[in-house]
Amino acid sequence: MEQFEGPFLLVDPQRCMGCHTCELACAAAHTRAGSIIGAVLARERLHRRNRVVQVDGVKLPVQCRQCQDAPCVRVCPTGATYRTETYTAVDQARCIGCRLCMMVCPFGAIHVATTTVAGQERRAAFKCDLCVNRLGGPACVAACPTQALSLRYPQQEADRASQAAARQFLRSLASQPQLGS
Amino acid sequence: MAYSDKILKKSIDPTVHQMLARAQELGLETAWDRYEAMLPECGFGELGVCCRNCNMGPCRISPFEDAGPKRGVCGATADIIVARNLIRMIAAGAAAHSDHGRDLAHTLLMTAEGKGGGYEIRDEQKLQTLAAEYNISTEGRSKEEIALDLAGAVYAEFGKQEGPIRFSRRAPRKRVDLWQKLGIDPRGVDREIVEIMHRTHIGVDNDPVNLILQGLRASIADGWGGSMIATEISDVLFGTPKPTRSLANLGVLKADEVNIIVHGHEPTLSEMIVAASRDAELLALAAKLGAKGINVVGLCCTGNEVLMRHGIPIAGNFLQQELAVITGAVEAIIVDVQCIMPALGNLTGCFHTKFISTSPKAKFPGAIHIEFHEDQAYDIAKEIVRGAVENYRWRKPGQVVIPDEKVECLVGFSTEAILAALGGSLEPLLEQIKSGAIKGLAGVVGCNNPKVQHDFGHVNLVKELIRNNVLVVTTGCNAIACAKVGLMLPEAAAQAGDGLKVVCQSLGIPPVLHMGSCVDISRILTVCAAVASALGVDISDLPVAGAAPEWMSEKAVSIGSYVVSSGIFTVLGTVPPVLGSTAVTELLTTGAKEAIGATFAVEPDPFQAAQLMISHIEDKRAALGL
Repeated sequence: MEQFEGPFLLVDPQRCMGCHTCELACAAAHTRAGSIIGAVLARERLHRRNRVVQVDGVKLPVQCRQCQDAPCVRVCPTGATYRTETYTAVDQARCIGCRLCMMVCPFGAIHVATTTVAGQERRAAFKCDLCVNRLGGPACVAACPTQALSLRYPQQEADRASQAAARQFLRSLASQPQLGS
Repeated sequence: MAYSDKILKKSIDPTVHQMLARAQELGLETAWDRYEAMLPECGFGELGVCCRNCNMGPCRISPFEDAGPKRGVCGATADIIVARNLIRMIAAGAAAHSDHGRDLAHTLLMTAEGKGGGYEIRDEQKLQTLAAEYNISTEGRSKEEIALDLAGAVYAEFGKQEGPIRFSRRAPRKRVDLWQKLGIDPRGVDREIVEIMHRTHIGVDNDPVNLILQGLRASIADGWGGSMIATEISDVLFGTPKPTRSLANLGVLKADEVNIIVHGHEPTLSEMIVAASRDAELLALAAKLGAKGINVVGLCCTGNEVLMRHGIPIAGNFLQQELAVITGAVEAIIVDVQCIMPALGNLTGCFHTKFISTSPKAKFPGAIHIEFHEDQAYDIAKEIVRGAVENYRWRKPGQVVIPDEKVECLVGFSTEAILAALGGSLEPLLEQIKSGAIKGLAGVVGCNNPKVQHDFGHVNLVKELIRNNVLVVTTGCNAIACAKVGLMLPEAAAQAGDGLKVVCQSLGIPPVLHMGSCVDISRILTVCAAVASALGVDISDLPVAGAAPEWMSEKAVSIGSYVVSSGIFTVLGTVPPVLGSTAVTELLTTGAKEAIGATFAVEPDPFQAAQLMISHIEDKRAALGL
């Protein structure tokens, strides 16, 4: 089962320049026009599902962590927020804009804003959907000029980390021959 | 009253704390709130590596070696982009100062022609001196005839194609020779600014050193050209500042008078506002409406101009402009150009305050535009003041919160006033420098910036310098910060080191001398040039240093560049957008030393910045054998 666990966005704070390009790319990817300029020309609303924040001089983008046991899913009274096999989703058609998901999200990754659902203006929840319908994966990852963002699988990450730790361990062993002798 | 840590961290000024708490209570936003909302600011912008000079871009260079583009679409590297962006900032700053100078030349011309609606030549002595500098004959001629020739000559400096710019020859011979050797002796004020715009167009000058040199040339045209013209002509028209006592900080607003704030940078209109505020008819109108009088106060450099010449109290520096409105006691805030926040439009809409723009160059959303023209100067000023007085009846006394704080200050130390204080010659000052009683001179200037605690850098840097026997001369928002904490009183000598203390006490001067508005940094150049010439050395040999602890404007970039180009080591308190290029950063912080005898340094901590300046001054003293 482990290898089927859904992917998530990995952020490298050391690479984030705080340029907000990921926010614009996110908003553009979720418009009909598919681009910022196209959306502005068509007077479409732009909504980003991520947010670049700064804490003590360090900048980094924050977005949905795609929690397995997601508080937003548990709290949603209408089933608008739900969990698929790979990610946590919002069905805006079922959303009543109650903001309970906003309240319980530990990351501040959900917001409620005005949008058009089935031809009607209403308030609904927005959150990162990992651009599941976009060829080539998340728009923010593709747009980041410094590659501070990447889409990763938990198993892959665990493998990478344990490999790196093992390599470090072996290297330190090699530098201390007396331990080997 | 106790304020939150968040408020206390924003400024060291208690009036700011009080007014920020008041803003919070009223749900009003200020520059500090907007700064927070802006975070995080774009790192590419901070490093200066984004280029919008053509439409193949916008381009930006990644600072990470293994990721992102290293060249713009045209092939421009970070070095090229940073150098181009920096000198475009210089162009804008030099243009702002120089346009201010040009407007004063225009006023002088109109006055000389008898078309200036209320202006006159107040300082005939200075007119004569300047005329001599320009080889204009004065024998048996009226002051208007001389002024007409002077105005023409000064006007011509802007559009000139070949140099020299006359005032640049006030620099010591060695400095001028150096400028000529480097090919940065400016030709005409406008020409150097235009040439920056040409060189930074796509596909023109792409050599970072060559670009920076042109930036320096334009900055010299600002400091020794446009700015110096603005200062000198202001003195001719409005009088050369002399030591005057006044008051500083928001407490200068009065609960029972019509409060008029003059804000911006040019003295032209504010001079007339001051005159109109003394008009018997308007005073009578104010009394009829229940006000005890008409209280004109200044903000920013327009404030510095009328503070220096008329002792008009100053309400605060750049970051206090919104706070002044939040007192609810301002009938009108009258603005001309530069450093005026467009936020004032919305903010004044929350009060009875009239926001009046006056320059054909500067209109603001939410402002009433009453255009200023020199030929009807007094009449227009009177109408503006009348509007303010009539507005008094709409003040809501319940909404008025004026901080108590106001501090006395002694201001008005023009070059001439310093000479007079010294008994007519620089000799006593030189003696004190030689004896070591005064270690050296520091020019501390520049803006406020919400990135750093308001006034913290200004006040602490200056205090540290005077404690170490460095005489401080100041202009602009730094000067206002110093005035607000009492550093501009002769009594402040007690805070100076033993040597400087005795000198100040014997002359009756403060250890921090107010030399005017930001264009008046040209006065500091004049003093340095005079000292260097008296000693037969270059400015770069003198025990002097400069600093801008809280700078933010493009004018400050131009100022820093002409100060360094003039041979003065300069410490910046906020980081300029150049770090994206190692080559440009090194050129400015080390390489420039060999070429022009001075460099920039960046040091946000005011105490360490003072140490950098003091050790520089010590080195220069040692080199001079002092």
